[in-house]
Amino acid sequence: MRAQLVASLLRTRPIAVRRVAPMLARPSSNAAHEETFESFTERYVTFFQQAQDLFEVQRGLNNCFAHDLVPAPSVIEAAVRAARRVNDYATAVRVFEGIKEKVENKQQYQAYLDELKPVREELGINVREELYSS
Amino acid sequence: MQALRLARPRASLRPFARSIAASASGTHATASPASSASSSVIPLSNVEAQWEQLSHDEQLTVHQQLEELQKKDWKTLSIDEKKAAYYVAFGPHGPRAPVNPPGTTMKVLLGTLAGVAAAGAVFIAVRSFAPPPPKSISKEWEEASNERALEQKMNPISGISSEGYSGTGFVTHK
Repeated sequence: MRAQLVASLLRTRPIAVRRVAPMLARPSSNAAHEETFESFTERYVTFFQQAQDLFEVQRGLNNCFAHDLVPAPSVIEAAVRAARRVNDYATAVRVFEGIKEKVENKQQYQAYLDELKPVREELGINVREELYSS
Repeated sequence: MQALRLARPRASLRPFARSIAASASGTHATASPASSASSSVIPLSNVEAQWEQLSHDEQLTVHQQLEELQKKDWKTLSIDEKKAAYYVAFGPHGPRAPVNPPGTTMKVLLGTLAGVAAAGAVFIAVRSFAPPPPKSISKEWEEASNERALEQKMNPISGISSEGYSGTGFVTHK
């Protein structure tokens, strides 16, 4: 029994010890492609159009707003419609709050609000200022 | 000894704790049958004020209530319902509660100023009890010291009695 064990250990050993050849050349980080603003927009529009539950929508929003850019109005519209699809009003309001955080000044925020006014009126979304001013 | 010392505060606390428990169970007794009867026991217009005090079950009820509400067309929701939905999801409670309650900045500022003022008062008080400065710290005394030093030819190589000396010697007063 013992001899058998030793024998089997000895037999398996060379296989375990065999080395994987080290990879000498690391793939260059320059090879990572730079995403353009248009492809970013397109990616998130399709993401939000396909998002099926609240968690996914909020995860997408977190990722989308984590970049050093303000998402295009088409992304915002897709996100708000996704929030409507998953029946979460608060997330829709929060999207506009996120834009307010991301833009540089009040004029840009106002421009976003004006651009998205049709969607807001269609879905009945009040931004946070409207909710708390009255 | 330790046990005796501990016994007293605990005994005095007990009736208080009992009264809290009684009042808590009292509110439960009034609230729970109503919540089982109808889901709208908590008025949504008041959710923001009540939220912290609600029990987990009541919060769950509000959550479910709001979930149902948000399935409707959002244009038909009232402002109160919208605010409640927003507050419950993203309001300043739980992990989003502000670290410092409002007014903390003013408190810290006033506290710091009070501390500095108290230190200043102590400084002035201690100074006012101090004895007068010694008689040797005066212009006359210092000039007299200079005269005495010259008389005795003090420090003739680099000091006050040296040739071409241009310093003030012992005089430190202007």
